[in-house]
Amino acid sequence: MTNSLDVFLQSPTTNDFPNLERTPSSYNPLQTYDLAKGNDKHYQQQYADMYFTRLAMLKKPVEQVAAEAWDDFKIAGETAKKVDRVLAVRQGQLCWIVGTVYMEMPLKPNVLDDISKEHWIAAPPPRAKFTSPNGQDQIMLEDESGRIRLTGSFLPMQLLVTGCIVAVLGTENRDGEFDVVDLKVPDLPAQPERWGRHHSQVQGGKNNQQNGTPQAGKMAIVSGLGINGDEGDTLCVDLLLEYLLGEAAGPESQVAAANISRLLVAGNSISHGTPIPSREDVAAKKKKYGYDPTAYNAAPTERLDVLLATLLPSLPITLLPGLTDPANVSLPQQPLHPALFPHCRAYSLIPGESSQDPGWFDTATNPWQGDVDGWRVLASGGQTVDDVFKYVEGEDRIEMMESMLRWRLVAPTAPDTLWSYPFQLKDAFIISECPHVYIVGNQPKFDTAVIEGPDGQRVRLIAVPKFRDTGELILLDMENLGVEVVKFDLFQKT
Amino acid sequence: MAPKRRTSSGPVSKSSQSTLSFNNKNRITKPTNTPSSKDLRSSKPKTDPALLDSLVSDDQKASPTAPATDATSHISAQDVETSPTTAEAAILQQAEQEKARVVEAAESTPEEERARKVSDAKIKAYWREKERQSLAPRVHQEGLSLEEKVLRLWDMSGEYGPCIGIARMKRWQRAHALGLEPPVEVLAVLLKEQEKENWKAQRAHVDELMSSRFNET
Repeated sequence: MTNSLDVFLQSPTTNDFPNLERTPSSYNPLQTYDLAKGNDKHYQQQYADMYFTRLAMLKKPVEQVAAEAWDDFKIAGETAKKVDRVLAVRQGQLCWIVGTVYMEMPLKPNVLDDISKEHWIAAPPPRAKFTSPNGQDQIMLEDESGRIRLTGSFLPMQLLVTGCIVAVLGTENRDGEFDVVDLKVPDLPAQPERWGRHHSQVQGGKNNQQNGTPQAGKMAIVSGLGINGDEGDTLCVDLLLEYLLGEAAGPESQVAAANISRLLVAGNSISHGTPIPSREDVAAKKKKYGYDPTAYNAAPTERLDVLLATLLPSLPITLLPGLTDPANVSLPQQPLHPALFPHCRAYSLIPGESSQDPGWFDTATNPWQGDVDGWRVLASGGQTVDDVFKYVEGEDRIEMMESMLRWRLVAPTAPDTLWSYPFQLKDAFIISECPHVYIVGNQPKFDTAVIEGPDGQRVRLIAVPKFRDTGELILLDMENLGVEVVKFDLFQKT
Repeated sequence: MAPKRRTSSGPVSKSSQSTLSFNNKNRITKPTNTPSSKDLRSSKPKTDPALLDSLVSDDQKASPTAPATDATSHISAQDVETSPTTAEAAILQQAEQEKARVVEAAESTPEEERARKVSDAKIKAYWREKERQSLAPRVHQEGLSLEEKVLRLWDMSGEYGPCIGIARMKRWQRAHALGLEPPVEVLAVLLKEQEKENWKAQRAHVDELMSSRFNET
């Protein structure tokens, strides 16, 4: 009589296993990066408007920071004075000026190179960094009056890219260059309270606060799914689905997964969304008239659609486009059109309809800003940080993300080396309210930090790695802003 | 020569179609080599740009010997009568939006209130002050009205941003929104022009010059 077999020959248990319910997610997106549609979107303006509005909007905060720091600054008995125009500095006079940084780098992509490329046979390979090895890079400060070159041993220690607004203290030397002694940036803007916007909107309607603010769960963040429809080996993505739906592992993991209230997909869900053929490819391809079925492969978007539709009945999703997704190339990338997702469409708003509640499937812009469980979240698909990476010497992505927040610019290099819409009335890339969480997707590896600001602001920075390479899913606890990593991997017998 | 082919008398008579030729040196379509699409007006023949009169509006069907009058007035007639280019159309749309916004809003904004109170004498005084600030007398401005002179100075003031690609009223509103304190006399002149429905005054003069197809590059 073997007891082990009796275990199987039993009547159904009378244990009552309770149904696990997912924690609800409170969601209130902002339309900061939405562009006008159709004929209302104009391109006849020039990028000078964008630089002008950026300087005009950030000049006052920088001047305040600089005035506080340098008002009573003395070197050799001389006090620093503020000079209004960049070109009005006098030689030997200790002063401080405010302007836009411009990095003159010979290895930066130049439109003239594009034109001369037509005469060459092969294009040079794209560079990882624009910094030139022998100090040919020049840093200049620019405003409406003109540009002045910045020098000094203070500069190499600073992280600077084209487009950030800074105040520099120093003097003009004999060569006509500005010798920098100190540098100040606008630093983090004012941070709203958690649930601040929710309370102001609720109070506008009714006065009772009895429902209060619900207990928040966790937000799952993933980026770089890289679906290309070709491979049969998508086991990691399937494991991710099972984990999020609570189908995998044991009861403890399922309870943990039930606490996940939202999924944020931060870009690059499709690996080859908009192949822009290079000049050589176009010349090589024979001209075909009409619809060329070999040019478009619908498999990746279908696969992504089915994947998201499997998750949607149980989990709300915010989908950001990335560099390789079928959205527009220039920032801010507009939301992926619901026409791409025939199954997920049922969960999203009809295009053109606007309501307070965005629905469970929210296709968002890149970059994106919104309130999730009361916290202000700023998310980006990674192109902005990757571009800043090319300008600076270091490798630390978190440091670059911190600098971007302190410069108050989501995309500092925007019109220069990052394609962008020409904003005319105000530069939409300026961060006016400090987020609580800053998420950047498609980074080479996972990293996180908490930075602090001068007025007590605290921001959680998260660099999300590519899921295709690392198999990592980030869980952000929305109560205390703590971060966990869940790694999906295949056991391979070597 | 090849013998003449007998045409087949079937339902489809092939002789009615002339032979199609590909890779022919005589292309039907012109190669697009123009510097910018803004300069293209497909219906206009290419003539000597010095003969501005020949490029006057469609309904005149001008002959090259039309009397040469003031260049600015010809450009103005042409701008209004021919279909505007993308840049012009965008600025016209901006100007009309500004006017619509003013009309819709039941009450005007505080700066507009102040601007409406500005009298002509104050505008003249403002202009005299500005003229006094410059060391040299202004040249090439003899034929311009006071409003146009004030507006041209407004365009050239770089501290309020670039003047190209934006309607003057919108530029004033933008400068005001950014806290740069643009002069209220300029707003007064712009409101007067807006009331007169003078859409031409909304586009900066340098904008017209820079995007003019008379520029031979």
